[in-house]
Amino acid sequence: MDDLAELRRLINQPERDKLQDLHDRLDDKEQRAHEIASVLPEALTLSRDRSAELTRAIQPAVEGSVRESIEKRPQVFVDALHPIIGPLVRRSVAESLRAFLQSLNQALEKSFSWQGLKWRFEALRTGKSFAEVVMLRSLVYRVEQVFLIHRETSLSLLHVSADATEAQNSDMVAGMLSAIQDFARDSFKTGRDEGLEEFRIGELQVWIVPGTHAYLAAVIRGNPPRELHTTLEDALESIHVLRGSTLAKFEGDTAEFESLRPELEACLQSQFAAKKSSGGNRTAWIALAAGAGLIMAALIVGWRSERRWQDFVRRLNAAPGIAVTQAEKGWIFRSRVAGLRDPAVADPVALARAVGVNPERLRFEWKDYLALDDTSVLRRFEKRFGKPAGAQLSLTNGALAISGAAPYEWIRRVRIDGMQSPGITSITENDVRETYDPGLALSRFRRAFPLPQGTTAQVAAGTLELAGAAPYEWLAPVREGATKLPGIKEISEQHLQVIYDDKFVLQRFVDRFNLPDTVNAKMEKNTLVLAGEAPHAWLTRVQRDATSVPGVGALDKHNLVDLDQRAFQQSKSVIESAFVYFLVNKDNFATEGFTALSRLPEEIRRCLSAAGRLGQEVQIEVNGYADSVGGEAKNLDLSQRRANAVRDFLVKCDFDPSLFKAMGLGAPPVTSKPTPEQSDRRVALKVVPKS
Amino acid sequence: MIQKKVCLLGTSGVGKTSLIARYVDGSFSENYLTSVGVAIKKKVVRVDDSDITLIIWDLAGDDKFQPLERAYLRGASGYLMVADGTRGMTLDHVIKMRERYAEQIGSTPCALLLLNKSDLESRWEVDEGRMSGLASDGLTIIKTSAKEGTGVGDAFEQLARRMIQPA
Repeated sequence: MDDLAELRRLINQPERDKLQDLHDRLDDKEQRAHEIASVLPEALTLSRDRSAELTRAIQPAVEGSVRESIEKRPQVFVDALHPIIGPLVRRSVAESLRAFLQSLNQALEKSFSWQGLKWRFEALRTGKSFAEVVMLRSLVYRVEQVFLIHRETSLSLLHVSADATEAQNSDMVAGMLSAIQDFARDSFKTGRDEGLEEFRIGELQVWIVPGTHAYLAAVIRGNPPRELHTTLEDALESIHVLRGSTLAKFEGDTAEFESLRPELEACLQSQFAAKKSSGGNRTAWIALAAGAGLIMAALIVGWRSERRWQDFVRRLNAAPGIAVTQAEKGWIFRSRVAGLRDPAVADPVALARAVGVNPERLRFEWKDYLALDDTSVLRRFEKRFGKPAGAQLSLTNGALAISGAAPYEWIRRVRIDGMQSPGITSITENDVRETYDPGLALSRFRRAFPLPQGTTAQVAAGTLELAGAAPYEWLAPVREGATKLPGIKEISEQHLQVIYDDKFVLQRFVDRFNLPDTVNAKMEKNTLVLAGEAPHAWLTRVQRDATSVPGVGALDKHNLVDLDQRAFQQSKSVIESAFVYFLVNKDNFATEGFTALSRLPEEIRRCLSAAGRLGQEVQIEVNGYADSVGGEAKNLDLSQRRANAVRDFLVKCDFDPSLFKAMGLGAPPVTSKPTPEQSDRRVALKVVPKS
Repeated sequence: MIQKKVCLLGTSGVGKTSLIARYVDGSFSENYLTSVGVAIKKKVVRVDDSDITLIIWDLAGDDKFQPLERAYLRGASGYLMVADGTRGMTLDHVIKMRERYAEQIGSTPCALLLLNKSDLESRWEVDEGRMSGLASDGLTIIKTSAKEGTGVGDAFEQLARRMIQPA
């Protein structure tokens, strides 16, 4: 038995020792406390994960203990919580203030801008407050709502929304979000863990962050950064850490998740558009700079205005015809200038404009006077008569000198009225070249010579160009007088047809040639037809000059007899047919011969007279003859003596001896037996041109 | 606040939407029924001094949304099966739906059978014998009339009560 007991002891002794050790540890409070302390944290964590029983179990004790401690020693809790609550309170207040100031700044900045006006209009239109519109339009992004949705039941576990946003019914929103996710997932055959991650509706977009038991749905306005997704994921992860087991065993009690509100509210982030300026002071600096700029601008404007005023007064005083007696600059009311002014030579308004002084802001009080300095006198003269561009005017002690080129009308007016200009004592023209305005020259011509119908006229380069058709009676005085008009040097009739009236043409001919009574004249188609008898001299003149009579194109004188020519021929014929017979073999006149001789002097005078009127110089050959009886020499002598006898007779009748040429021609050629014929004993005369 | 997801099942035209049209506190547009296949509505009922929020998923009875039904039913704490008393086949159909979902979901949430159109009971094709048989299988049957509002509130309250009762 002892062996068996020993064997049992040997086998069981280790177990006994362990039991004793355990017994000792259980009895040792200090030891047990150490051991519990080492496993308590793990036990608490495990218990919290499994159920809320531990929490519920210790909750009354903890709450009672805390309450008792706060009642007895509140300062301990205050000191303990101060590091936590203090920053939280400060952070909360700071966040509220920051949001308020940001909104206020945005509102102030945009209040008076064009954008601000648009936002005010939008606020009126949408019924939102101006600050709200400013905030919405200044946002880069803002998370307006966050839903924590139970994945299995699609129920909304918690819903937070930013201020001033209108929350939809979160329960149904959560349901529909889940339904839409299911719908999308099923429609596109995606996996259980896949689904909609985000979608956009206008300015809003919804980001969905899936988790094991729940997912977050964030409704965001604007354009959020991707970092926000990480924030949401962190929040969801934190939620799962804090309430993982609760989520897994969720049965509809959403109150358990109310404690997660800070986590969700932390997701309600927002970002406003960065300010362009570095800070609020910039506006003040801008305002200050603008004010200083305005003052500086006002000073510059005032200084420039004063300079202009001084310059204006100085120029006024220097201006001919103006004597300023008072000048008062008006900064608010109109400035005042008083003095003497020659109205004809000075224009203070133009002077004011020239120096930049507004004439509307000036009040002039002038008294008229007549300035007699050379400058004023010349200006007055120029104001009255003007000053041609090419003319030079100079005035010295009232003596006006004109040179250069000047229009005829101007110089004519100056010649007539120049001396009437006050202050002008004399006018001298120094090689003034008159110029003529073609239009004015033509006007003068038309006034002097009214144009007949069908006639046109123009003046170019001093030439009067006539065209069309014009009667000679109008044209004649034009030709005579037009070039005497200023501005017309010559007349061109290249394109002018002259019309002649036969009646006037004939009258001009008669007036010019003193038509003899024995002559009839008429016009036939520009031809002057003459008939009757006329002296040679008149006829010669007519022949020479008739066509120079305007309208006489040709001369027809077939029916006109030259009276002097006829008389000459008649006398010549009488002289040459008168034979002076001689006695036989003598140089004495026979009786018949003397009778003929006695008529010759008268006839010769008549012939010479007619020849003289014809302009001819004639000579009379006195030819002596003898009959065939006798010798030739004798007959030549005899015939010479007979010719000389006649010549001598005629010379004795007061004719110039040179008029006659006495020649003895002997006897006629003997054709048969010589006979003593009286007819051969003769002297015959012949009128020939003087050689 | 306790929330519960409730689904309404039934063939198209049995009156699911009409049943809750005047009963719910809020709803989204019925257009979702034809587009997404579900319309979500909300009703707060008071049971034993506790307010319970029912998130009611009105599932479209159209066959084209049948693939989505399983997803929509997921997480539901209870459902109301709705049949048209004047059309016996709708009852057969909803019973089969229940069986199919039981297989798919693997659990049996609280369920009530609503025989609708009780105002036309004289024309019903479902007789008392059929109803007794279903009741003996453990189904609670409530006669409802969407037209007159009869039994509607009672159905939702009963379902809410059952859902919060410990299993």
